[in-house]
Amino acid sequence: MKKVSRSTVRSAPLSAQQLLMASPSTIAEPGSGASFEQLAIPLLPALLRHALWLTQNEAEAEDLAQEALSKALRAFDSFAPGTNFKAWIFRILRNTFLTTRTAISATRTIFLEDPEEIEAATDTSATPEATLLQLDNAAVVQQALVQLPPPLRDCLLLCDVEELKYKEIAGILDLPIGTVMSRISRARAALRAHLQPHFGGRQ
Amino acid sequence: MTIATEHLQPAQIDAFADHELSPDEARAVQQHIASCHPCSLRLLSTIELKQATAEAGRRLDPPAAMLARLTAQLRQNTSAMPQPKRLLSFPRANFLWPALAAALLLVAVSFATWSAGRAHNALTAELLDQHLATLSAAATPQVLSTDRHTVKPWFEGKLPFSFNLPDTDALPPGTTLKGANLTYLGDHPAALLLFTVGKHQVSVFVTDRSSVSTPAASTRSGFALRSTTAGDLRLIAIGDVDPPQLDRLLASLASVQQTR
Repeated sequence: MKKVSRSTVRSAPLSAQQLLMASPSTIAEPGSGASFEQLAIPLLPALLRHALWLTQNEAEAEDLAQEALSKALRAFDSFAPGTNFKAWIFRILRNTFLTTRTAISATRTIFLEDPEEIEAATDTSATPEATLLQLDNAAVVQQALVQLPPPLRDCLLLCDVEELKYKEIAGILDLPIGTVMSRISRARAALRAHLQPHFGGRQ
Repeated sequence: MTIATEHLQPAQIDAFADHELSPDEARAVQQHIASCHPCSLRLLSTIELKQATAEAGRRLDPPAAMLARLTAQLRQNTSAMPQPKRLLSFPRANFLWPALAAALLLVAVSFATWSAGRAHNALTAELLDQHLATLSAAATPQVLSTDRHTVKPWFEGKLPFSFNLPDTDALPPGTTLKGANLTYLGDHPAALLLFTVGKHQVSVFVTDRSSVSTPAASTRSGFALRSTTAGDLRLIAIGDVDPPQLDRLLASLASVQQTR
């Protein structure tokens, strides 16, 4: 696969738009009552879990979540009440991760979008019956997820595990929404390929 | 029954399973799968895979201890960085802290004022008591002398500081040194010099400046109290004379001390 240069990886913690949102009028808006703590506490398990997926290392994940939380607290003024706090704080987690050593070394192996390969990977020639999975073994699926290329895996996890919308995922990953869509599709196709041996008894 | 000539794209099926299609697009997909068995199976497979992914993704469960540490850290950080604009959303935490701080401050200030006032009054009372004791006819000074060259050496080795006495002529008119006592003011040694001003008796306490606080100039039970400092010494005069007379006596005493 082709590689992209590091410059394509965006690491700006906050976009100009987010900074603009920090205007006093936004902050003073009535109904913006929820405190940072109230919003963040329920999301801690999800943040840690995603940090674990990103780093694949417990100590690093904890540091990452810690740093992301303290950045988020400092930047809380830029959170627009009424928008999805989970998407906002996941974006901060993502951008914090991109500044870590793990992520910087991973930029050398970031995969470029490759439409031809998507088509090849999602070839529907296999009989539809064969695509029905007997996925009672979650450990097998987890292993398949670990083996996915990180750009595909991150999209899929944000969608299926964190239940975020494509638009929110696009915001978190700084990608066009079409790219999010195609990555999710490619991720699922790659998962199917990994799980082929575990498909149900129907041939 | 319509024969579907063109199957759904994988991304279309995925978006449908993820509830990401517009109502019109979703309706078109539903119409297609109603008549296309392979595509309906692909959709079913996608929904199954999505559920399996969600389950597998959540298997990576953060350890409870890690979660507890993160929660504690967050609580600590949010309380260390109060956000005034969100004050009302924290009725139990943010609201009470300033009130508690104010209450503690009030208690501290009033205690300090009370204890300072108490110490003050205690010192004045002690000075007055000691002065009254010297007025008794039976009270003989420990060193009975009008000669400064007798009085000053008598204190040597008795006090942790030294002081000078002026010549008889340098004292204000009508003021005479009668003698001296070694005494204590609030556990600190002090020289008690006895003077007569006219027919009135005046006590002058000489002590280390750091040993006692400054007593307020006052008049109490007919006795005037004045104090001054000279170098490291504190001089306090008390007697039933006009305060300006005490001031003149203190000034003459202060003028002969070595300012260190």
